[in-house]
Amino acid sequence: MPRWGMVIDLEKCTGCQACTTACQMENSRLPGENWQDVLFYTEGEYPSGKLTWLPRPCMHCETPSCMAVCPTGATYKTDDGVVLIDWEKCIGCKYCMIACPYGVRFYAEEKQKTQPDIREVFPAEGDKVWDPPYKMPEHLQNPKQGCGIQPKNVVSKCTFCYHRISKAPEGTVDLDPQDPELRQFTPACVVTCAPSARYFGDLDNPESHVRQLIAEKRGTRLLDHTGNRPQVYYLAGEAPAIPETRSMRESKKT
Amino acid sequence: MPVTSTPYAPPPLIHFRRRPSNRAITMMILGAISFAVSTPYVFYRLWTEGHASFNTSSDVAWGAPIAFYLFFLLTSSGMSILASLDTVFGIRLFYPVAKRMVFLSICCLLAGFAILALEIGRPFRMLWALPFSFQLHSPMWWMGVFYSLDLVLLIGKFWLLHRGRLHDRITHWVSLASFAVSVAAPGTLGLVFGMMAMRQAWFSPIMPMYFILIGFTSGVAFLMFFASILPHDLTKDLTPAMKRLFSEALPRLFFIALLAVMGMRFGQIITNLWSNFEGMDAHWYALNSGLFWVEIIVGLLIPAALMAFDGQRRLRLVQAVAGLAYMIGMFAGRLEFLINGQIVPLFKGSWAGYVDYWPSVTEWMLVPVGVGLFLMLYGAGCWLLTLWDAGAPEHA
Repeated sequence: MPRWGMVIDLEKCTGCQACTTACQMENSRLPGENWQDVLFYTEGEYPSGKLTWLPRPCMHCETPSCMAVCPTGATYKTDDGVVLIDWEKCIGCKYCMIACPYGVRFYAEEKQKTQPDIREVFPAEGDKVWDPPYKMPEHLQNPKQGCGIQPKNVVSKCTFCYHRISKAPEGTVDLDPQDPELRQFTPACVVTCAPSARYFGDLDNPESHVRQLIAEKRGTRLLDHTGNRPQVYYLAGEAPAIPETRSMRESKKT
Repeated sequence: MPVTSTPYAPPPLIHFRRRPSNRAITMMILGAISFAVSTPYVFYRLWTEGHASFNTSSDVAWGAPIAFYLFFLLTSSGMSILASLDTVFGIRLFYPVAKRMVFLSICCLLAGFAILALEIGRPFRMLWALPFSFQLHSPMWWMGVFYSLDLVLLIGKFWLLHRGRLHDRITHWVSLASFAVSVAAPGTLGLVFGMMAMRQAWFSPIMPMYFILIGFTSGVAFLMFFASILPHDLTKDLTPAMKRLFSEALPRLFFIALLAVMGMRFGQIITNLWSNFEGMDAHWYALNSGLFWVEIIVGLLIPAALMAFDGQRRLRLVQAVAGLAYMIGMFAGRLEFLINGQIVPLFKGSWAGYVDYWPSVTEWMLVPVGVGLFLMLYGAGCWLLTLWDAGAPEHA
């Protein structure tokens, strides 16, 4: 059984947000509900001001705090290392959103940031949040895995496109979008990444490309001190640090 | 172990034919109006807009309703602890109010539950998903367990007190269990916030103790406030023990508890000055917020100044003002606490800025839902139940 993980090369990432868009289309997310977000940071003042960015999916942690705090067991970890939400057990208490250090969880029942409210433009029958014209095929949707169009009043998050990766041929080590045989099983953000800054594979397999990248290019994880042990690694190259924490007060001065 | 040889004949549990007092009628009418205005409005907004009628977002996941039910649940636990002073610790001075405090605690708990049910996404699913999931590592699961047990034990304790079994073996064990749960429940509620290492404004090992303490102080403030506004014709009939309780013991107890709350709060403020980026941001944001200063000045400094002198704190007007000020301050404090813990969004980049949050009308309307339900239940209790008489009166 693989333990899926992702590597993001920050030296290659251009901050184009194609990953954000691909994820939105693949998973029928609402505007602003960016499972795969790209965060921007500004530092310093003219003429030495600096803009940096950080693509940020769910970290699918080894020991996820969101799973630990869930009072109903709706958040769980699969055998292949992916953190999912069972929408049929979630009670919408939002404790997982409080406990996730990476801010990657979303609750659709909020005032929409863009108007008109897309949920009213494409209203759904029954319990679903909305019914977009383009959506994941029915046979791939699975509320027990948090895949597809979500019901109301539950929390959602990135699934590593579990509806794709869970169907990968047995024994697959790396899900390389360049391989036509594997492309359909690769997460949408990895497939769409124009500069090929994303890699997806088995973290437990010494032969996997992701494992080699982490070893050779000093892969690092976000907020490692929290003990969550993310399964998403960043390659920062020559950069001194990943822009992970910044003071709001300090950044407002710039 | 009964003290007297003559068996105690308990009054009927419910007096359907008793005429309600003017106070009970006033409370029930005020409660009914408050509940009748707010509840249909909240239901209408939830029906038409869902929880989008709240101003919460994916950045501020927990809004004001959490602060409101925190206030009710902590006050309930404080009242329950206060009721245990006689039944568990044998402080007989508190015997006359034990039964009433148990009932008040039940009313407060139900008001808090009502707010929680309207706040949570799937309240009906919670009824089966939470108890049968056995998520032993989740503080919120334990919170649910303890508060459910709390309600059951409080009802059991009320029944035993009503039957006059004030100090027998079963009452002692039920009271002991009720006391333990009344401490564990707000303590676990403190853990729900205090264990969040990623939320610097909340993360603290003293949070459980702080929650227990502010809950207890709220219970004392509540009793002191309501005892001080009793009409004169009622107070002149009070027994010497009750007069001593209201004029001496309660204000002193409130002052001591208040000083302890102030000490812990001051400690929190000082330690927050040494935090990481997010913690410091949240801290400075708090210091600039009006709610913080309402909590400190109205909730702590004014009551402390009023309670500082013995002659002054015996005055009923002073007690009423101090008790009310503390409750207002704690209400503001809980809201400030909730907002402050989420004001710096987690991992949203420096472009995101502080989160902009203030409760919506629907969220504010949950306050009259809780207060209205509380007043209706308590007014009905004053009318239909026997609340002053906690079993064998010769124990007083």
